[in-house]
Amino acid sequence: MARTELLKGTLDLLILRTLELEPRHGLGVAERLEQITHGTFAVKPGSLFPALHRLEADGLVAGEWTVNDEGRRIKSYELTAAGRRRLAAEKKQWARIALAVAQVLGEA
Amino acid sequence: MPLASRITALWHTLFHSAALDRDLDDELRAHVDLLTERRIAAGVDPASARRDALREVGSLARVKEEVRAVRIGSWIETALRDARYALRGLRRSPGFAAAAVVTLALGIGATSAIFSVVRAMLLSPLPYRDPSRLVFVWSDMTAIGYPRAPLSAPELNDLRERSTRFDGFASIWSTTAALTGDGDPEQLRVGLVSTNFFSLLGADAAIGRTFAVDDESTDAPRTILLSDALWQRRFGGDPSIVGRAIRINGQTTTVVGVMPAGFRLLMPPDAAVPDDLQAFVLLNPQALTRGPRGQQFLRVVGRMKRGVTLDEARRDVDGVAAQISREFTSYGANGRRFTTVGLQDDDVRQIRPVLLALFGGVAILLLIACVNVAALLIARAASRSRETAVRLSLGAGRSRLLAQYLVEGLVLAAIGTAAGVAAGSAGLRLLLTLRPDALSRLDAARIDTAVLAFTVAVSLVWGVLFSLAPLAELLRTDPIAALQRDGRRAGGSLHYRVRSTLVVAQIALSVVLLVAAALLLRSFAAVQRVDPGFRADRILTFRVALPGQRYASADKFNAFSRQLQAALAALPGVTGVGAFSHVPYDNVPNWGGPYLSRPGQEESTAVMADNRAVTPGLFETIGAHLVDGRFFTEDDDARRENVVIVDDQLARRSWPGQSAIGQRIASDPFSTGHPVVWATVVGVVRHLRHRSALEDLGDQVYFPERQVQRNPMAYFVRGGDAATLPAAIRRTVASLDPELPVADIRPLEEYVVAARAAQRFSSLLAAAFAAVALVLATVGVYGVIAYAATRRRFEFGVRMALGAQPRDVVRAIVREGSVLAAAGAAVGVVAAAGAAKLIAAQLYGVSARDLASYGAAVVVIAVAAIAASWLPARRATAVDPLSALRAE
Repeated sequence: MARTELLKGTLDLLILRTLELEPRHGLGVAERLEQITHGTFAVKPGSLFPALHRLEADGLVAGEWTVNDEGRRIKSYELTAAGRRRLAAEKKQWARIALAVAQVLGEA
Repeated sequence: MPLASRITALWHTLFHSAALDRDLDDELRAHVDLLTERRIAAGVDPASARRDALREVGSLARVKEEVRAVRIGSWIETALRDARYALRGLRRSPGFAAAAVVTLALGIGATSAIFSVVRAMLLSPLPYRDPSRLVFVWSDMTAIGYPRAPLSAPELNDLRERSTRFDGFASIWSTTAALTGDGDPEQLRVGLVSTNFFSLLGADAAIGRTFAVDDESTDAPRTILLSDALWQRRFGGDPSIVGRAIRINGQTTTVVGVMPAGFRLLMPPDAAVPDDLQAFVLLNPQALTRGPRGQQFLRVVGRMKRGVTLDEARRDVDGVAAQISREFTSYGANGRRFTTVGLQDDDVRQIRPVLLALFGGVAILLLIACVNVAALLIARAASRSRETAVRLSLGAGRSRLLAQYLVEGLVLAAIGTAAGVAAGSAGLRLLLTLRPDALSRLDAARIDTAVLAFTVAVSLVWGVLFSLAPLAELLRTDPIAALQRDGRRAGGSLHYRVRSTLVVAQIALSVVLLVAAALLLRSFAAVQRVDPGFRADRILTFRVALPGQRYASADKFNAFSRQLQAALAALPGVTGVGAFSHVPYDNVPNWGGPYLSRPGQEESTAVMADNRAVTPGLFETIGAHLVDGRFFTEDDDARRENVVIVDDQLARRSWPGQSAIGQRIASDPFSTGHPVVWATVVGVVRHLRHRSALEDLGDQVYFPERQVQRNPMAYFVRGGDAATLPAAIRRTVASLDPELPVADIRPLEEYVVAARAAQRFSSLLAAAFAAVALVLATVGVYGVIAYAATRRRFEFGVRMALGAQPRDVVRAIVREGSVLAAAGAAVGVVAAAGAAKLIAAQLYGVSARDLASYGAAVVVIAVAAIAASWLPARRATAVDPLSALRAE
């Protein structure tokens, strides 16, 4: 399946979306992303980690060191309240754009 | 994000970046580990699982770089880290650091010192109210050799009454006066000013007041205004001095005020108004308006009305001159002409070209310094090309490396600026101790905020520019090629060409400064060789002024002078004594007037002469050359007919081909403005330079002091014990008149040295500049040759292994240096020929195309270049051929 390059703003939205239900570490976010887009989007560490840290710096996600089931020390990210608000707003916005794009494409 | 947490994040970025980086490392390591585990779980063998995981992650360095970049305030953190890295780098290569910092310190130091001087002299306004509206008015008497003469009192009055574009005119003249009572008698330099002088300049007294109209009335008490220096020294800074009476020339005089400490009179240097006047008294020109129009002694300053341009003011003054030329026949057919100049421009008329030349010199120096630093940085970038290649291949962005170069350049510039400002203020202090008396405005030169701002701006620009110099090196770096090549051979021929070009430019610029220095030094030597017409060695001079009331008659005057001369001559070791109205090169106002050399000669054709009075014995004491006739004797006094001695220049002009002895001459000993006193010429002396070491071309008439009394007189004492003579002189004068102040006990040599100070000053400065430039250029040559020698180590190793002698290797390397020097010298000589035109006005007795100066500059630069290439050459031969080969 062809993999599509990810737009920057879209990446933030998608990351927030993957963390909506539960906290995940970096690899978890990447795998979940690939999974929910059915492999359309593959995010490389070079984009993933800067994005995570940017979201953390903006207070939308909170990173925390935990120990996973295998006893490995990992940094896991969780949506903050501000992150949830942002996700909701972005979703609404995205829905509007998607609708508009669909209409344009439909008319063509 | 709330502000508080932003600040916390910034805090972490700036001060806990190491902890943040550790976290990031851990996170990425965990990421790789997790990826590896997933692969092993999928059945891949552990080794290739890990390799695949690493490949998927890509460059860890770049990921880290990008994560760091998203942190708040990350750019500050990056810049700080780069600065620390740069400092560490400088510490690791102290040779490079020292060369760069010293080079910058010399360049920036010279720039800041000279800029502060230029600012004080040319850019900062005169310390008066609205100084741009002040003008100086000269009498233009070019026809008789005085393009800038003072005005007479009636002329000042004409300007005041007839001009329309001026708020007013004021005048000043300077003389000396005796201050007695409360301590030793003392001779003061006094300014004789019009009532409105200070109000017109816009200068006020610090305590008390300046002069007022009421002070002019004849029954008003005599008044005096003190300088701060005199007030502090003589009256202990006692403010109650205002309103008290002191004795000036034996007259009770009321102190009306004290001028502020910073007040200086900044009149044009040739106005003969000293800038360190100690007191001011009123000379009301109104009272003199009926005086002769030829009695010119007033230095006139005018204040233009607001909005009036200098051209309008000039036309206004010229109009007045045209009117009075028509009205007064005494001006003759040529009439009277005035020259009106802005006070500020006039004040710096003579020094401006010198300063501009200096500024040019300093610009060249800074350019050389920056070229050196750029060359050093390029060399460094080249030697680090392997490191650069490694970092590029590890994923560091080129813009990231560029930013790092920039920070490095700025760190270097900052250190250089700090060192430069320190060097600059030391240089400025040195400059101020060397300054000629005529440049008193220089004392205001300071390295202040404006100078610092200028310096920092200059260094910033250079910091950016020279940090970009290695950019070419960076852009050329092809990581793979650089890594495949051996590190030692990195940096190719392009790099060598760039550096050689820079060094050739440096040598050329140094040649320009060397030629300028050689020309100025030769000028100074020529000035030293000028025969002033007298011998200054072993002569001590001092002045005494005889108070008018007690020495009213000529007989009393002469009696005192004869007694004093006899008493001085009797001092042990003294071999000659005489008195002179003017010490050569002093700042006493010139005394001159027209003379006629034939009976019946039209007055309008009269030529001006400098007038001087001398006592018998003076010419003998100063070793003047008697060309014809005789010197004065004690018999040349009021009982005999009037006699004069003239200089050989006047004799040649007036009586060409005849003996001057016995000729009759009419001159103006009493400053009436007209040649009215006839006398017989009894002697001719070789022209004495006494107004300037260089431009002293006026004809000279010497009157016998016994016939034409002048006050004050300067006494000249030859011989005696230099250590005890001053005290002996004071005792001798006091024994004749205890009230009499002895002023200015100084060796005649001091006046002579001061007269040459301007030439000495400019030649010293030029020599200092040239020396610095030479050092910098030598460092530049050394750097490029040493680099070239290192690059050719392998080649030399082969050649020596094949039997070449060390001598051949040395020759090959020195030849490389010589080629650079020859190219630089050729360009430099051409540039210097152009630049020399700019300093032509400063040259004396040497042409701007003086071959010897150019030759000397070329020889010096050649020797320096060869010496600079000799050292690396010696080092190259010391290498064991085998080890050089193995190193490849």
